[in-house]
Amino acid sequence: MGVVILLVMAAGVALMLTRKLPTAFALALLAVAIAFLAGAPFTGKNSVLDTVLQEGAPALAATMIAIILGSWLGKLLDETGIAGTLVRKIVEFGGDRPTVVALGVLAVSALVGTVTGSAPAAMLAGIIGIPAMIAVGVPKVTAAGTVLMGIAVGIPFELPLWQFFSTALELPIPTVRGFMVKLFPFALAAALAFVVVETRRRGTEHAWSLKAVDSPGSSGAKPRSRRAELGDAPWYALLAPAVPLVLALGFELAIIPSLLAGVLYALVTTTRPGGMNKRLLRTLYGGFEVAAPPLVLFISIGILLAAVKLPGAVDALEPLVKAVSPHNPVVFVLVFTLLVPLCLYRGPLNVFGLGAGIAGVLIATGIYPAVAVLGMATSYNQVFGVADPTSTQTVWSAQYAGVSPQQVMVRTLPYVWAVALGGLCVTAATYL
Amino acid sequence: MTAVELASTDRELMDPTSVDDIEWGVRLLAATPTHEGRDRELLRQWALRADEFGSRLAPVPSTARVVERDDGLERMLLARYTSRPPTVELYTDMLALAEKLVDARGWRAWYPPGSVRAAALAHEAVHAHLHHGPAKAALKQALDHTVLRLGRHRLAGHVAGAEEVAAHAYARTVCGLGRSPLLLTAALRAELTRPGREK
Ligand SMILES: [Zn+2]
Repeated sequence: MGVVILLVMAAGVALMLTRKLPTAFALALLAVAIAFLAGAPFTGKNSVLDTVLQEGAPALAATMIAIILGSWLGKLLDETGIAGTLVRKIVEFGGDRPTVVALGVLAVSALVGTVTGSAPAAMLAGIIGIPAMIAVGVPKVTAAGTVLMGIAVGIPFELPLWQFFSTALELPIPTVRGFMVKLFPFALAAALAFVVVETRRRGTEHAWSLKAVDSPGSSGAKPRSRRAELGDAPWYALLAPAVPLVLALGFELAIIPSLLAGVLYALVTTTRPGGMNKRLLRTLYGGFEVAAPPLVLFISIGILLAAVKLPGAVDALEPLVKAVSPHNPVVFVLVFTLLVPLCLYRGPLNVFGLGAGIAGVLIATGIYPAVAVLGMATSYNQVFGVADPTSTQTVWSAQYAGVSPQQVMVRTLPYVWAVALGGLCVTAATYL
Repeated sequence: MTAVELASTDRELMDPTSVDDIEWGVRLLAATPTHEGRDRELLRQWALRADEFGSRLAPVPSTARVVERDDGLERMLLARYTSRPPTVELYTDMLALAEKLVDARGWRAWYPPGSVRAAALAHEAVHAHLHHGPAKAALKQALDHTVLRLGRHRLAGHVAGAEEVAAHAYARTVCGLGRSPLLLTAALRAELTRPGREK
């Protein structure tokens, strides 16, 4: 029966790869199929309806709240001009040297990456950051890659992600935090290397482009965003994106209150009391829109995790997975480093896809300790977050810069592959 | 990059020459990221200073390799400079279209035959010059944009897009053009984004 379950999983991956079915739908379908194959009853204890669907769907509720709060803060950073001001200051202070501007945008990306992940983070840092880098002569692929590598520096400290791994892998937050702190130096070193090496290697680039002259007309017919009317945010407001991280990492506060504090800080430093309610609601609802795709995904992942943890599924999969899982630390590192490409293109090791299910299997069957699975999953996530040409942040950054996602993948993959190798080494050395 | 609709007034569409060279510089700056919401007067000041800097620049020899390409219409490019290795790419299809447009609009007196190519080379030579030499600091000084003041000390900030305005002003001067290459750029853009134009 285990083989049949694996075949069904492969079919699910095929559906996602060929885009026949959106990932979230595919994962939920997969979960139901696995539950039936594992011999789960229709209702009652360890059943398809009650355990997998009813209990699985809200299993990652805390993560979903964190995602909503992160998106809310992201919307606030945009609307209040905090993100834009950060990028503008970087260009004003470092614009003569493209490398300095790129490093500055990298830092802003890392900062917003700790608040909110994927496409919203890319947009926050990239909407002004990418064209600003291009304007000072940074080549396009490097500009897109810089934002993505920057977000990846923030990923180890992305609070909603801590919540996700804590709930999904049933680990306490301090354990997750402990590993993330060890993963961070690798992400940082790779990102710095990317910017320095790539800007050196490719030099600068200036184009006489038709796109330079956008004539808004003397009547000012072009609608201006709220951000444009506001101008610069005050300097102390620029600290807002760092508030949740400081509280959660420095003061070890819980994740949801830390994010809430960030929202409040961004609000009071930029908004007159009279306009607070309106702005809070507007950005909160806007945040839901941004958060919709990950929310749906996390509902499905909860369902999938509930399915692979069913006793029937664990019994069926255990002998198979045990037979192929390496335990020698060196082999472990080698095998899983070589498997890195399987997290790209919605592949089976994508942590926000079937990879979550596989992680669940590895833990439920007791093949690896949960912390080791955390190490693997987070290492893969560093690759997925930057180089996957089908993930929203990569697609958005590349297209916004005017290049293809595949070009960005080719340029960034060596760097993030090295990060994964580093993360896997730490995992093997510490937890195996 | 998101394609921003050309929202010119009707008069401008009929006659882009009604917009003066400095105003084209202002528009280039206004369309450059980091200047959104910036005061129009300040942009005008910067455009003026950058234009003056460019037109006063002593002739700079170009040592870059020149490569001709023919996918400019697709990429909306006239020319491109890359520093490593120093190379100027000329997009011949766009240059040809520019020459055609000059005739169609009756702008020959402003842009003599072959001057667009010369302007492209001159323009990119400025980028090379500013990239390698001390001229970059001089431009920054000319723009005089203070971003930080500590007692008597002032820190001059970078103005994104100013180098581009200077490059166009330099090309206009050394190639003896009657009007800024930016006018031609805008006309080309209008031509290529005109509704109903077949691909
Ligand atoms: Zn230029």
